[in-house]
Amino acid sequence: MKPPAVRYARAGDVREAVALLAEHGSDAKVLAGGQSLVPLMSFRLARPSILVDINRIGGLDRIEQDNGSLLIGAMARQRDVELSDVAAAAVPLLPQALRYVGHVTIRNRGTVGGSLAHADPAAELPAVVTALGGELVLEGPGGTRSVAAEDFFTGTFTTVMAPDEVLVGVRLPRLPDRTGVAVEELARRHGDFAIVGVVAAVHLADDGTVDLVRLAASGVDSVPVRLHAAEAALSGTRPTADVLEAAAATVDASIHPADDVHAPASYRRHVARLLVQRALGAAVERSGVER
Amino acid sequence: MTIVEPDRTTYTGTRVRRTEDPRLLAGRGQYVDDVTVPKMIEAAVLRSPLAHARITGIDVSRARELPGVFDVITGRDLAAVAGEQPVIWFPIPDQRIARTHALAVERVRWVGQAVAAVVAVNRYVAEDALELIEVDYEPLPVVADLDAALAPDAPKLYDDWPDNVSGSLTYTAGDAEAAFAEADVVVRESFTHGRAFGCPLEPRGCIVEWDDFAGTVDVHLSTQSPNLARDLLSEVLGVPVHKIRVRTPNLGGGFGNKFDFYGEEVIAAVLSRRTGRPVKLIEDRLDSFVATSHSRDQRLDFEMALRDDGTILGLRGISYGVLGGALGTVGAGPPWASVLTCMGPYKIPNLDVTVKAVVTNRSPYGSYRGWGVPKANIVHERLIEIAARELGMDRAAIRRKNFPAPEEFPFFSGVAFTYDSGDYAACLDLAMSKVDELGWRDRQAAARAEGRSLGIGYSFHIEPSAYGPSRILNLVGLAHSGFDEVTVRMDSVGKVTVYSGQINMGQGTHTIYAQLTADGLGIPMEDVVVVTGDTDSCPYTGYGTGGSRAAPLGGAAILRATERLQAKILRVAAELLEASPDDLQIEKGVISVKGTTSRSVTTRDVGDAAYRRLLNKMPESEVPTLEEVDVFDPPNMATSYGCTALLVEVDRGTGAVTLLDCLQAHDCGTVINPMLVDGQLAGGLAQALGGALLEELVYDEEGQLRTASFMDYLLPTAMEIPPFHFFHQETPAPDIPGGIKGVGEAGTIAGVSLVASAVDDALSDLGVTVTRFPITPPRLLDLIQAAQTPIGQTPTGQARTEEDAR
Repeated sequence: MKPPAVRYARAGDVREAVALLAEHGSDAKVLAGGQSLVPLMSFRLARPSILVDINRIGGLDRIEQDNGSLLIGAMARQRDVELSDVAAAAVPLLPQALRYVGHVTIRNRGTVGGSLAHADPAAELPAVVTALGGELVLEGPGGTRSVAAEDFFTGTFTTVMAPDEVLVGVRLPRLPDRTGVAVEELARRHGDFAIVGVVAAVHLADDGTVDLVRLAASGVDSVPVRLHAAEAALSGTRPTADVLEAAAATVDASIHPADDVHAPASYRRHVARLLVQRALGAAVERSGVER
Repeated sequence: MTIVEPDRTTYTGTRVRRTEDPRLLAGRGQYVDDVTVPKMIEAAVLRSPLAHARITGIDVSRARELPGVFDVITGRDLAAVAGEQPVIWFPIPDQRIARTHALAVERVRWVGQAVAAVVAVNRYVAEDALELIEVDYEPLPVVADLDAALAPDAPKLYDDWPDNVSGSLTYTAGDAEAAFAEADVVVRESFTHGRAFGCPLEPRGCIVEWDDFAGTVDVHLSTQSPNLARDLLSEVLGVPVHKIRVRTPNLGGGFGNKFDFYGEEVIAAVLSRRTGRPVKLIEDRLDSFVATSHSRDQRLDFEMALRDDGTILGLRGISYGVLGGALGTVGAGPPWASVLTCMGPYKIPNLDVTVKAVVTNRSPYGSYRGWGVPKANIVHERLIEIAARELGMDRAAIRRKNFPAPEEFPFFSGVAFTYDSGDYAACLDLAMSKVDELGWRDRQAAARAEGRSLGIGYSFHIEPSAYGPSRILNLVGLAHSGFDEVTVRMDSVGKVTVYSGQINMGQGTHTIYAQLTADGLGIPMEDVVVVTGDTDSCPYTGYGTGGSRAAPLGGAAILRATERLQAKILRVAAELLEASPDDLQIEKGVISVKGTTSRSVTTRDVGDAAYRRLLNKMPESEVPTLEEVDVFDPPNMATSYGCTALLVEVDRGTGAVTLLDCLQAHDCGTVINPMLVDGQLAGGLAQALGGALLEELVYDEEGQLRTASFMDYLLPTAMEIPPFHFFHQETPAPDIPGGIKGVGEAGTIAGVSLVASAVDDALSDLGVTVTRFPITPPRLLDLIQAAQTPIGQTPTGQARTEEDAR
């Protein structure tokens, strides 16, 4: 489990990182927290010829409110976001979901950008960003562009990022006050990638009907899945048990789970439906509470 | 019952902190990978990517040319100078023994079988070179599992065998056929335990230095059995034993896996011989999943016959051992041991039980804490609970009804073992009373009222320990002994060193040996040093450190040696004090005339008299020095036992199981150190709970291991393990001086059936019976859905197939 020889370059700023990536093309890999990349290199499954280290680039670790949205730099450590009052105030789903990401020691090192760029379909952060309709900010030789989460993830461990682009941050819409949020996960152990995970946010209008619902699942497809049909089934309704059940019943048609060593696809389907029902129920119950 | 007790027990029975810990906790331990030998080079092993194939060619030329590479060897190179890997357990007469060389010569029979090895300036270069070796394989049909191996037209692993069965052996007692014919109730089940392994956090490793001029082989090896390794290296390498030295530095866990003897130590020896350099070969985590002994893999088809009052009349069945592509060091030992212990703590007069050892294209089978007994525990504990349900009896009542009474000991189980002593019913009652005290039943009732499913499970286990009488071990097919030897030496300043052939791998052996020695001699524990892990300076132990033997056998030998040594110390002191030895006492290293405090000498004075200034001090009749050697070969084994209880919650929607609380009432005879006993129990239970719910080495139909990293092979963590409560009973072992019984395997034996019992209880309204381990969420959901579905209908929701459930 020793990696093959690899060259290493430390980028001083994003422009330099982009230049290094442009020079080395798909042989280069960006090194952020290294929590996935380094083990993959030790397994000799990832064999970059050069690592472009972006850890020392200033300003990439910001966590700030900006014009009704939350802006998180790619190098913000997961643990810092989990403990950030700014993040919790704007997107209370984040600290809840981050508690399911590995363990504290992993989150101390792991970054928000690293998790998103790695694009594991079972991971929590891609599901949160997908549920909330976040935008990923990429910088390449031609400048900066933003990509909606649902367009960003294209398959297991793959995204729309070009080899010479760096993910510099993610922008998440602020959730209105009194939004209820919930994370439901079935994992074999605490801290494992989920067999199925569901993140939910629900806001109720003054008349008790749902005027905002955001819902996504992980572990049920090659990408995190925004559950639009379930959202539609809930929107504008009073969220009774029957309505939640009807919303959950739409999940089956929205997901394409695969078999793996931990669970067959049929089990994932069953659990996804159940967890959607539980997550929506919990989010509804928690809605209406002042933050 | 004669029990030799030390005169005064200052330390025995107290919660002495482990002497080993500060150094290890400060990061100052020295594990084999921390050891560096001058001029050492590092090796790596190329492993087969296929489960079954003929090797038609190996080209190592490119690997040899890589700068930094010293040598590359294949199976042919190795076989020219080394024999086949040894097997030491032959419990089944006329068993076919599948043996291989440390590197495959013509054919590979499991994924991960070693095919070639490289030694280079460092491990990085060695691994680079592995990628340059080209092996041509001609794939052969794969025998992926037990059913595939036993199919009538199954491909054969060994062409000269009639089938894939290594051997089969039946034990009988009484008349099982008659018992089943007259039974009121017969319950039967097929139980499956998946593959798992001990997974020590320090993987295996060795450094071998072959000195061609001296003809010596100097080995650093992460092993539980240095004497056995030395004997087996001698057999394989053709080097006499006295020219081989095996040293064991700190061991980062063994769990039985490091009892076994592996090919890597032979590979490193051959590479060292060829290069003239010391060779380090560390098994990394990736290697460990395929190269360290697998275990547990068994199917157990058993039935139990009972009278309608709950009396067990008979037990019959077959234990299939799903062995790998070659036999490991202990052969079919563990599945065989399941048959020996399948009656557990119960009086079962009529037995007809069979072990059948079957080879498959999987990694070799070997030792793992508990050996065959955890699977035996599944048989008797599951069947007795199923019977209780069938008969409408209380689970505790049916157990109690079938225990041997205290006065029935020594109790012959019907097959091989005679349980030495115990009060099983009292232990059961102790556990039940603690369940009440902890309020589990109230928690269960309250949760049920909220619609949640809590269950309470029980497991009563026996742990045959103190392996074992040498001649009996030989009689049942072990090509090795079971005695233990210690040397206790007081030196010229009156301090004591204990030399033992046992290995300290986390269980606290050094601490308990120091406790026993200090008490046995009447000296402070701080005056005792324990030395283990060097065949040049430490005595021979039979077997190794395993079979829960270090405390009872090493402990007994220490007690016997210190008793004699203390007598000699007192004789020397008597000369110094001009008194009679019979009138002397020794306390905290000070020897004085009983009842007086005026005149005294210390062990320092005695040491000086025995080693340096003998004139007028050492009695003429005494031999100089202060040393006693004791060899203890037990007349019988010691059988510990316990009753474990567990509180779980089952999520009926997902099939997930959460462990809430756990207790164990336990009897391992004389308790030397309650804190260390608790540690052994807790560690073993954690391992069993992992085996019951999480850990599985899953093979697919091509014989590929699908769970070969910590991403997929799920060890339990502190997050999954419940709180533990331990309660002790002490019924001394009558055949072991000091009354000590072993405790190392208790938790692993008790914990698997325990989870099934608790899950069944949580789902008692559905009548679910767990028979397959580990209990994964999809598997349990299948059982729940099947139980919820009226017969004749398919479960609602998605169509599920057999394949899905895997």
